[in-house]
Amino acid sequence: MGSKKEQELLLGTLDMLILQTLVMGPAHGHTIAHVIEHTSDDVLQIEQGSLYPALHRLEDREWVSSYWGPSENNRKARFYKLTAAGRKQLRAETHRWESMVEAIGRVLGNAGRVVE
Amino acid sequence: MSLRRYLRRREWDEERARELEAHLEQETADNVARGMTAGEARRRAYMKLGNPTMIREEIWKMNSLVSVEDLGRDVRYALRQLRRSPGFAAIAIVTLALGIGVNTAIFSMVNGLLFSSLHVREENRLQEIGSRQQGTPWQPQFSLAEYEAMHGQTSDVFSGVVGDAYGLDGLSMEGNKPDRAFTDYVTGDFFDALGVEPYLGRLFHAGEGVTPGADPVVVLSYAYWKRHFAADPNVVGKHVLLDGHPMTVVGVTAKDYRGVNTALSVEAYLPLAMIVPIESTPLSEYRKPTNRNLRLYGRLRPGVARQQATATLAVVARRLAAEQPVADKNVELASFPMWVGRNAGFDPQNAIGEVAWFFLGLAGVVLLLACVNVANLLLVRATVREREMVIRSALGAARTRLIRQMLTESILLAVCGGVAGIGLGLWGSHLLSSINLGTDLPLHFDFGFDWHVLAFSMAVAVAAGALVGIVPALRLARANLNMVLREGGRGVAGGGHRFRDALVTVQVGSAMILLIIAGLFTRSLTQSEHAELGFNPANVMTMMMDPGEIGYNDPRARDFYKDLLQRVRALPGVKSATTALMVPMGLVGNGGDTITVNGYQPPAGQSALVIAYNLIATDYFATLQIPLDTGRNFSDADDENHLYVAIVSEAMAKQYWPHQDAIGREFTMNSDPAHPLQVVGVARDARYQGFRQAPAPYFYVPFLQHYATNSLETLEVRTVGEPGTTLPVLERSINDMAPNLPVFDVKTLHQALYTPNGLLLFQIIATLAGIMGTLGLVLAIVGVYGVLSYVVSQRTSEIGVRMALGAGRGDILRIVYKQGMWIVGIGLAVGLAASFGIAHLLHSLIVVSPGDPATYLGVSDALAAIAMLACYVPARRAMYVEPMKALRE
Repeated sequence: MGSKKEQELLLGTLDMLILQTLVMGPAHGHTIAHVIEHTSDDVLQIEQGSLYPALHRLEDREWVSSYWGPSENNRKARFYKLTAAGRKQLRAETHRWESMVEAIGRVLGNAGRVVE
Repeated sequence: MSLRRYLRRREWDEERARELEAHLEQETADNVARGMTAGEARRRAYMKLGNPTMIREEIWKMNSLVSVEDLGRDVRYALRQLRRSPGFAAIAIVTLALGIGVNTAIFSMVNGLLFSSLHVREENRLQEIGSRQQGTPWQPQFSLAEYEAMHGQTSDVFSGVVGDAYGLDGLSMEGNKPDRAFTDYVTGDFFDALGVEPYLGRLFHAGEGVTPGADPVVVLSYAYWKRHFAADPNVVGKHVLLDGHPMTVVGVTAKDYRGVNTALSVEAYLPLAMIVPIESTPLSEYRKPTNRNLRLYGRLRPGVARQQATATLAVVARRLAAEQPVADKNVELASFPMWVGRNAGFDPQNAIGEVAWFFLGLAGVVLLLACVNVANLLLVRATVREREMVIRSALGAARTRLIRQMLTESILLAVCGGVAGIGLGLWGSHLLSSINLGTDLPLHFDFGFDWHVLAFSMAVAVAAGALVGIVPALRLARANLNMVLREGGRGVAGGGHRFRDALVTVQVGSAMILLIIAGLFTRSLTQSEHAELGFNPANVMTMMMDPGEIGYNDPRARDFYKDLLQRVRALPGVKSATTALMVPMGLVGNGGDTITVNGYQPPAGQSALVIAYNLIATDYFATLQIPLDTGRNFSDADDENHLYVAIVSEAMAKQYWPHQDAIGREFTMNSDPAHPLQVVGVARDARYQGFRQAPAPYFYVPFLQHYATNSLETLEVRTVGEPGTTLPVLERSINDMAPNLPVFDVKTLHQALYTPNGLLLFQIIATLAGIMGTLGLVLAIVGVYGVLSYVVSQRTSEIGVRMALGAGRGDILRIVYKQGMWIVGIGLAVGLAASFGIAHLLHSLIVVSPGDPATYLGVSDALAAIAMLACYVPARRAMYVEPMKALRE
């Protein structure tokens, strides 16, 4: 039960990261993986394979749409684009995330004071 | 969305494969740009991405409707498994079919008697009204005054209160011999309140049935119209005679509607007040507050609960008690759902309901036995298949999948068993329906197959499947992987045998219960068959007739019987002849009356008892061979011009005039207070109803003094030889006198005992209980035999070792026997205790004592002996195990 919850949280997080990446514009899977890695200064090492089921899920929920197009070096690649619903979801998720981080921060801050 | 994906998932998968390939190429290209060799670059790209096949599988699964696919696969797999062991499948299916079939048949009976649709509008809002006085049981009969009070004073809770009274009348087209029809005299708004539609013509109006003789109209039932009027579409407007009174057919009732009593099929309906001319009831009698023969029904207004109706009825009851202090002293009224009073009174002891529920319980036990048997078979199979399951589990099958698959197999078995069982049940139900009830009354004993029955059987089948499957499935799921693999396929037999033993114990116990109950009923039947009847049923021919049906008025009917007896007594082969209203165990004239005895005070708090009586001609006691203890017989001089007289039974004399001479005492029937009856004789007790208690108080009055109340009588003739041989001459005599008079229920007095009020119910119960007991016995034997055989096969190598170490064949036999006898012994003990408890619940249905020693001893001896035999075959097999062969295996 507990581990499942945790998984859900992480899945949700990956979804959020992907959506965030797509705010800058459409991108294909390879780009998304690298962007997430680089922008987080390699802190978030995602297994690239897990990206695709996540993308599939996002598309299933109609938060992203996809199409085939030429990549930077002119290969065929599948591009993902944020939909309006996806943008809305991202805002909601970001808000939730921030308030959670803030809450955790407050708890940890308090704990810090008690330790002092 | 996902269904579209599901259908297009192959295409989708190809696209994913291309996408992943593109990703790998991109990554490889990047790696090459970083200066890796082509091979290394590709390898790194793969490492970074992970296994593309697994990723695709994951996405594929996301696009699948997992459960539907698995279900299909499970069913296919289960079918394959069952086909591979047809013996097992056949035994399991037949066993379940027997269990489900018995339940279907019995439920169809319960349903037919209590719950089948009456085919009226909003049946659940329809109620039947009951009354009681001072602690007597609830009863459904009302007087006209009571009906009028309820009709007028309950409009806040009932949108209508309607009533009906049954009759038997001769119905004929002009000039033809009448048919005896089962009639229902109904209030004018009866069909409106019930919501019954006409099939042809019209039904009654609210105004009809109020004024005696004013509405000479008749409505036919659909079945009667079809049978007796050949479904004549122009029947409306036709003239018919009812007991000689001209009437006009105005309509036919809806096709499915058969009346509100499911055991009797009404054949014709008449407006209530027509009962006065047709059955020549005097107006004073019709309106008399003690003349209660109306059953009343009310339709609850929307939103009104039964309790509110009963509360309103309580107010009506108080008013009635004030208005009619004699007839309705301390009366209570209540509203009941229709099914409670169906086919009987409201008495919770009412035999039909009780018997029906009881048999449903017995059928449940049979089903339990069947399920246990199949569960045992499955357990054995599960042990055998343990290795297969373990391997599948080791290869990554989830336990829930394994359990589900086992359950699928069990439910598949149950569904096959269910289909076969429903077929079997239909056949059984048909057999039950075709029981000869030994009467010409239109008793409806046809248990159709409606959706109630189907739903019940399906539910039973699925429950059986789950019950049967869950045990082995769970056990298997608990099995320890490593242990089984290490044991090299011998299975983890150790853990399960106690459970299996418990199951067999349950089987033996249940079989014991079924057999003891069957035994108690069978013994009750034999005991009743040999009960002291108080009369001699041999060589007596009986036949019922009602000259009123051909329009004979009362004096004419009286004279008809006088002449008839004179003729019959002169016939060769006739010893003596008489007529009587009531035949022992008969269906007619069982009502009786309350009486007032001069100088007798009923015990405080107890209202006057209803006492049954008979209207008889002279020679009655000689014909039935009931001895008179003291006093005299009735003679032709006992007519309405002389003192009204009665002959009482011993039991009645003892109750009202204990230790005194009853002769010369007086009492009054409350239906006829103007004519006190003087006791002129005391007759030996005779059994007119039931076999359980001692005969109840009873009395006889001469037909010649009471012919005005009833013209229906049964001719009873004692013959010198075989009674059937006189039948042609008897019928010819009647035909000579009144060619159109219908004669019915022609049978010997001995046959008359085997009717629903006599031994027939016992016979049916004993037969049904016997069938279920036999089924239970067979199932239990199979269970004991099967388990012990399995145990022996599991212990073969152990037995081999024992024999190799010097154990004799006798020792082996003893070991196996000991195990078997323990199981059987505990089962017998538990079964004995349980049957003893259950038998006490039945005490009102059986004649022998619930602890009847002969039954208990007989059944436990027989069951023990049979169980020994069931143990013997596997024990013998164990005895002849070849030690060397067993060890080498």
